[in-house]
Amino acid sequence: MDAIFVFEQLLNGLGYGLMLFLIAAGLTLVFGIMDTMNLAHGSLYMAGAYVAARVHEASGAFALAVLVAVGVTVAIAAVAEFLVIRRLYRRDHLVQVLATFGIILIADDAVKAIWGVAPLLASTPAALAGPVALLEGLPYPSYRLLLIGAGLTVALGLHLLVNKTRIGMLVRAGASNRQMAEHMGVRVGGVFAFVFALGAALAALAGALMAPISAVQIGMGEAILIPALVVIVIGGIGSVRGAFVAALLVGLVDTAGRAFLPPALRAVLPPAVAADLGPALAGIAMYVLMAAVLSLKPAGLFPARG
Amino acid sequence: MSLFRAEGLVKRFGGLLATDHVSLAVEAGEIHALIGPNGAGKSTLVDLISGLLPADAGRIVLDGVELTALTPHARTRAGLARCFQISSVFRNDSVRDNLLLAVQAQAGSSFRCLSRRDAEHALQERAEALAQRTGLAEVLERNAGTLAHGLQKRLDLALALAARPRLLLLDEPMAGMGPEDSQQMVALIRGLAGETAILLIEHDMDAVFQLADRISVLVYGKVLTSGDAAHIKGHAEVQAVYLGTEVAG
Amino acid sequence: MPERFPGLARRLPWLVLALLAAFPLLAPALGLEYYVGFVRRVLIVAIAASSLNFILGYGGMAALGHAGFIGVGAYTVVALVEAGVSSAWLAWGSAAVLAGLFAAAIGAVSLRTRGVYFIMITLAFAQMLHYLAVSLRTYGGDDGYGLYTPLALGAWLDGAHAQVFYWVVLAIAAAVFALFSRVAHSRYGHALRGVRDNETRMVALGYPVYRLKLAGFVAAGAVAGLAGGLLASHNAFVSPSIMHWTQSALLLVMVMLGGAGRRWGAPLGVALWLTLEEVLKLYTDYWHWPLGLLLLLVVFHAPQGVAALLERRAGKEGAR
Repeated sequence: MDAIFVFEQLLNGLGYGLMLFLIAAGLTLVFGIMDTMNLAHGSLYMAGAYVAARVHEASGAFALAVLVAVGVTVAIAAVAEFLVIRRLYRRDHLVQVLATFGIILIADDAVKAIWGVAPLLASTPAALAGPVALLEGLPYPSYRLLLIGAGLTVALGLHLLVNKTRIGMLVRAGASNRQMAEHMGVRVGGVFAFVFALGAALAALAGALMAPISAVQIGMGEAILIPALVVIVIGGIGSVRGAFVAALLVGLVDTAGRAFLPPALRAVLPPAVAADLGPALAGIAMYVLMAAVLSLKPAGLFPARG
Repeated sequence: MSLFRAEGLVKRFGGLLATDHVSLAVEAGEIHALIGPNGAGKSTLVDLISGLLPADAGRIVLDGVELTALTPHARTRAGLARCFQISSVFRNDSVRDNLLLAVQAQAGSSFRCLSRRDAEHALQERAEALAQRTGLAEVLERNAGTLAHGLQKRLDLALALAARPRLLLLDEPMAGMGPEDSQQMVALIRGLAGETAILLIEHDMDAVFQLADRISVLVYGKVLTSGDAAHIKGHAEVQAVYLGTEVAG
Repeated sequence: MPERFPGLARRLPWLVLALLAAFPLLAPALGLEYYVGFVRRVLIVAIAASSLNFILGYGGMAALGHAGFIGVGAYTVVALVEAGVSSAWLAWGSAAVLAGLFAAAIGAVSLRTRGVYFIMITLAFAQMLHYLAVSLRTYGGDDGYGLYTPLALGAWLDGAHAQVFYWVVLAIAAAVFALFSRVAHSRYGHALRGVRDNETRMVALGYPVYRLKLAGFVAAGAVAGLAGGLLASHNAFVSPSIMHWTQSALLLVMVMLGGAGRRWGAPLGVALWLTLEEVLKLYTDYWHWPLGLLLLLVVFHAPQGVAALLERRAGKEGAR
């Protein structure tokens, strides 16, 4: 295990963390402002991945594929919000779980009907297929650099949106105290629809960007949902800044755990034990992180609720 | 020695000092009223004494027993009971079931899981007696959520009484009541004076002067003064606080 | 229906029990032998769902990690079989005990939180158990573990006989169900519902709320573990997927579908869901979306579950 490997893994963790942030940002806003647990958020991520993969394969134009993926997913999300989600805003969390679980089932079958059960192969755009030499003797896949760049850019854009624009102010007010915002005449319904659409766009973007380096298959939404939930709990529900910090933490801990724990354990424990324990501990690393954060700050790192 | 003593209670919410070194005593059999303008910290004080809020500093002693480190439910078991400013009852259950639940807590283990609770005659009798005492006998079978406001407040009080407390914390029992309901509540509370000491938080000054043996005035989290009705009525600073007139010095 | 037979509502459960008991004998005549195994699975899942209904519906604890305890039970049976145990009662009993112990540890920590944090922490613990199972290669790891010899049910019951196992499961399910019903009307049951309805008041009344919740959580975990042990025997196979978070979510969904906090909520929800799934699978490859649609319908038209819907219909016609 040398310095290059370590650096590479840290960059991977950063990239994964930034993608997690894109997914978690929408989830935390929806939960924070509309007090709605949307399990189907992962399905939006899945939709983005599938559409991007197919459009890229059909057209060869990656940027186009990403744009189309985001557009289509936002359209689907708008329909879902109109038909189902907006009727869940004042309901009990468990009822929301029930309804959004139903949406997951419908989405999974829709994907199956359109694209079949076999996982889709999404290729990295030709221009970014090769490595880039970051430093002397330090090659890093250029696609992953794009991921990091895109993630940081979107994060910056989101920061500006939430903190420097009027709509962002309305969003923050809603996250901090919804009833008060309503009483002060904020057009809550419009803000809600905007937040939901924004969350969908971010999730779809993450899906589109992750498609070439992950498994595009039914169930990918459910798989990414848990890390996303862990991120928003650590970060503080309703806080975009919290989601950013928490996503980076989770991304790094998860990636580093999987990369460094097994070899570290092999160095100190008998091989049979280390072989079993390594992957197990790596898998639970982010939950241990969550437990640690919650024991010190029970409402997360940056609770948005005033 | 007073039945109940709170000494030097402090509670901070961020930068706000809600309870500022409050000391208070309640004698056995006495009704001690706590009055003060809105925002003075009366409800915070009740939450501190009952244990729902942890105090930042200070002690609470009931009948020689140190309550400061005890959890809220342990304080109830030690003889402290409270009712709530906004009545906190079991809205989906009948009045009878509400009272049974309160009575059950005081009569043996609630981990018994195999025999039918409603068949326990002793519990039913105690619940009915409690209902008689608090004027709820006629609505025993009605759902608590459908009760009129006055009756709900009475149920709230009855639930606290079930614990046969040494000290009863009444948090604005008259709140939202019309004159007739208020008078009935006053009579009810006066009837309790013998068996339990009462710390009464109230805004309704008529009720306070009818009931209280002693009155303390709480302003900005501090006890301004304590004394009987005459003392309070004649106190210049109290008048200023309530009437807003400036007092020199 | 109920209006013409006022006693039917009371007698219906016994009727259903009798039908279920007779089913393996009637099935061959109706060409439904295959479904004896299916009904057995429904009963086992109903046992697990009843335990979740107990803490969720009666206790107000929204746990999203209940499948973890099912998994502990199943893997206990695996571990015992691997160690040479062949008695079903010992294996299933140990499954319940071990799951109860895990529930005590997990509950002790989780019950200090509430709301969405409780949901997340129970979910996290179940995921940890899932990862633990994946990493245990002696018990098959991700590939799972096959139980090739059915466990022995004792001298006069043949464990290998499918029908005997069915009746054993039915007896256990009926016993569990009767037990939960009994507990619901006991002091503990009333106290637990009080905690669900107004926890602050329960504290003020002097109830040891944390201990009450923990006791329920442990009991439910143990029963889920028992179901896990039964499931291991039923499938003759155990894999970590039994503890995936979607399994916990599915269990939750079935309980809510039937009606959380309702007496018949768990068995109704499980029977409805699994039967629909089975029927749909006969006709189409796409059996997820109708189930999803059902959930949406329930959320918007029968949010208290199917049990409540039926109770309302029976109530309207005057039957008690």
